[in-house]
Amino acid sequence: MTVPNVDRDVLDTLREVMEGDYPELLDTFLNDSEERLSNLRATKDADQLMSCAHSFKGSACNMGAVRLAELCQDLESNAKDKSPEALAQLVADIHSEFADVRPVYEDEKHHAHTH
Amino acid sequence: MQAQEPLTILIAEDSAADRLLLSTIVRRQGHQVLTAANGAEAVDTFQKQQPDLVLMDALMPVMDGFEAARQIKALAGEALVPIIFLTSLTESEALARCLEAGGDDFLAKPYNQVILAAKIKAMDRLRRLQATVLQQRDLIARHHDYLLNEQRVAKAVFDKVAHSGCLSAPNIRYLQSPYALFNGDLLLAAYTPAGDMHVMLGDFTGHGLPAAVGAMPLAEVFYGMTAKGYGLAETLREMNAKLKRILPVDMFCCATLLCLSFQSRSVEVWNGGMPDGYLHRMASGEHVPLPARHLPLGILSAQAFDDRTDVYPMAVDDRVFLLSDGVIDTCDANDQLFGVERLQQVFAANSEPDRLFEDIEQALRDFRGQARDDVSMVEVSLLESTQAHGAAPVYSDSGQSCPLDWSASFEFRGATLRRFNPLPFLLQLLLEVHGLRSQSGAMYSVLAELYSNALEHGVLGLDSSLKRDAAGFARYYEMRAARLEALQEGFVRVHLQVQPRGEGGRLVIRVEDSGKGFDVARVMQRPLDNVRLSGRGISLVRQLGHNASWSDQGRSASVEFFWEIEA
Amino acid sequence: MSVVTEVSQDGKKLTISIEGRFDFGRHQEFRESYERLNEKPESIVVDLKKATYLDSSALGMLLLLRDHAGGDESDIRVVNSSTDVKKILAISNFDKLFDIS
Repeated sequence: MTVPNVDRDVLDTLREVMEGDYPELLDTFLNDSEERLSNLRATKDADQLMSCAHSFKGSACNMGAVRLAELCQDLESNAKDKSPEALAQLVADIHSEFADVRPVYEDEKHHAHTH
Repeated sequence: MQAQEPLTILIAEDSAADRLLLSTIVRRQGHQVLTAANGAEAVDTFQKQQPDLVLMDALMPVMDGFEAARQIKALAGEALVPIIFLTSLTESEALARCLEAGGDDFLAKPYNQVILAAKIKAMDRLRRLQATVLQQRDLIARHHDYLLNEQRVAKAVFDKVAHSGCLSAPNIRYLQSPYALFNGDLLLAAYTPAGDMHVMLGDFTGHGLPAAVGAMPLAEVFYGMTAKGYGLAETLREMNAKLKRILPVDMFCCATLLCLSFQSRSVEVWNGGMPDGYLHRMASGEHVPLPARHLPLGILSAQAFDDRTDVYPMAVDDRVFLLSDGVIDTCDANDQLFGVERLQQVFAANSEPDRLFEDIEQALRDFRGQARDDVSMVEVSLLESTQAHGAAPVYSDSGQSCPLDWSASFEFRGATLRRFNPLPFLLQLLLEVHGLRSQSGAMYSVLAELYSNALEHGVLGLDSSLKRDAAGFARYYEMRAARLEALQEGFVRVHLQVQPRGEGGRLVIRVEDSGKGFDVARVMQRPLDNVRLSGRGISLVRQLGHNASWSDQGRSASVEFFWEIEA
Repeated sequence: MSVVTEVSQDGKKLTISIEGRFDFGRHQEFRESYERLNEKPESIVVDLKKATYLDSSALGMLLLLRDHAGGDESDIRVVNSSTDVKKILAISNFDKLFDIS
């Protein structure tokens, strides 16, 4: 089992800033991310991969998903150079990293509702 | 720390989560938030809602942030709408692209709300600064337009006042900038009733309207008094008194005044504070300097004012040249002055007197490279005395009510002779007779001649043969001033008699003095002489009037004028 | 240009020294140098040793000073004038109003 790579300090700040809207933010992020993941899987075009990865990176960064952001950066920088197999692997890594950190955000949602 | 004013901020960000997060942060800081999910929406929203500041994601679909920024900047025009780019591009890359697109700053992800607040505050300060600058610029431009208009109006009024002059006379040449009035430069010229010419080149302190405003009352005095036949001294006294009264203490008018007499072939000069004028004698090529011997006008009280003039003989075609200090003070690139020496070099090198102005302008151009706009020059030459000058004022009433049968006698004694010039008053009196108006020039000349003879040769006992050469000329006028100053006794009487005669009438002028008289027979024997400097007065009287005669051993002169009523 | 003032011990003599260009930009300073005194001095000296240039507004300022100091009753001396400055004062005949050296 991998350790979730989410920066807790960022989450604390987000919680503090968003106040009552924190759950909405989490939801929006999770939904956005699902969409981005399916886009990544669906396309083979390097430019599209790049811009999708860039976008995903930004969100991930803002939400404290540090490792996820790194992986997206990697894909963004190298989309033109890597072979289709290597790209597919990166996309799979991203997918898996998201699966790992997703519970953290679910958990945050849960805690926000009960507090 | 000063509280930040709430702004309307547009957030253009394609990621929904990021957009939500940023909106919340910005709203919490007290601002109103507008959102857009891509560049095109951002431009559209900007156009419709006019936000104060834009937070722009760099990479967005449909239209990216850079293009949207360019369009928004174009729409904003002169106003500053700060655009802060939101970016996770690497720093140096980000900065370069942002600035190119017209961005003012950038904010890196993850968003740090403290940094964001600081940047918003800083950008807003710049925005307000720009707004102030534009506002003040527009205010200044408007104010400047008002000022220009005021000057136009002032100049139009002044031109009406100054139009009655004779600067277009054939013996005057002048150079004056169209802005001369607002540089304080003034050039006036007018004929006296006797056909002499008064010329004034003046230079008021200061610039703009304050300088121009003093010129108008001055011009009125100059023209009014010259037309009535007052001499330089009286006109100067009046101008000085007027300026002293109306101008503030630190304002004054430097001026050179000339009275050119074609009949007596002389020029009378008064220079208060102006650069040297020059009397150019054609025969010898000499340039006699006419330096400033007096304080400028408007400084001294009436009692302290010095109206003494210098008189120089002039031959036909001799010229008097006056210039403002714009010539002497022209500087070159090293702040060296053109100066009096260079001017005199131009005089020396000038071979064609008619090209003097061109030579001076060329020398100034060579010296400085570009012309100044406050150079004023005037050149007045002595031409053969002409009969045609200044139309006599014509009145349209029937003349039935004017005095046609009357006589008046005046006696001017001692102290009054020192300071009072009765000629303008006597002329005004005679002009009441409409039939005489067309001869006002001749009448005035004759009256002036008889009066001056009575005063100078009769009462003061001066010998006009002194005036045969330039040195004697100067001495004559020195003696005149001295004897006049010391005068206690003596008189000049003027008798005027007007009677109807047929359809018109007759005027008899008789002038008597208390002097020793002269040998009338001897003088009458001389042929009518136009060339000599002295003794021309009698010829003049005999030519201009009728039945001129002298009695009482030359102490009494009589001359007549006739007129016919025009049908 | 700067304007430096100095009042004698007994308060009877005011010396105003001008350095640099004596022109309109110094109007305010020049006026303040004599208007602000508690006692009106009996005599005034304007020292132009370090003055490089004089224009018509400077002449105007001298007239204001003279007017303030009593007009015809004033005692004002203008000293240490350079040749150029002397020339300007001579053309305007200001030696008829001020003692110039």
